Amino acid sequence: MSKSSLQMKKKQAPKEEEQPELKGTFIAVMGLGLFILISWFIVYFIFVAR
Amino acid sequence: MHLHKYEKIWLIFGIGSLILFLVVLGVGAFYKGTHPPSHLATIDPQNVQAHESFMDENLGLRQVGEDQYLVSVIASAFNYNLGTDEDGKAIRTVRIPVDSTVVFQVTTTDVIHGFQLAGTNVNMMVEPGYISSLETTFKKPGTYTLLCNEYCGTGHHIMAATVEVYQP
Repeated sequence: MSKSSLQMKKKQAPKEEEQPELKGTFIAVMGLGLFILISWFIVYFIFVAR
Repeated sequence: MHLHKYEKIWLIFGIGSLILFLVVLGVGAFYKGTHPPSHLATIDPQNVQAHESFMDENLGLRQVGEDQYLVSVIASAFNYNLGTDEDGKAIRTVRIPVDSTVVFQVTTTDVIHGFQLAGTNVNMMVEPGYISSLETTFKKPGTYTLLCNEYCGTGHHIMAATVEVYQP
């Protein structure tokens, strides 16, 4: 009885780790992406205007 | 394979951006015909005067049509050869009327030089053995400094001339 409950716990533990907290990473990645995109368009419009 | 919801979003965003910029590059190169300024035109760097465009009498500004000009320049350490005036003095300023089409064609007799008109899109590398050419239309009158932006030696900083765009 005690053995099987131990095994259950071992199996359940990794499942909880499968959903990492990625909100900060998401904001950082999208922020960097938008920065690159916006910079590209600013330079493009400077080129066209000259 | 399990992917986090956020991972899917930024992968789509990243791959989408990559595709967008490759399409922009492709349209520019194959449809609009945008190529590097030193595209395919070659010249003997030891004897540039043998080329019609770089003969002494053809250097500097030439009018080739109504509102169409050609500027031929030989870059060398540390000077832009824009030809000579009636008195035989070296020309340091080129005067071009506003809204005319200008083709700059430049070559070098020694090392790599830069050819930049500060504040405009005229900006190219000048390599020995190649003729770099670039077409532009000056929309705003003003005095633009022509300068070397590739370090070419100890006198690099004095390598400059002037292009004056005037309202006729």
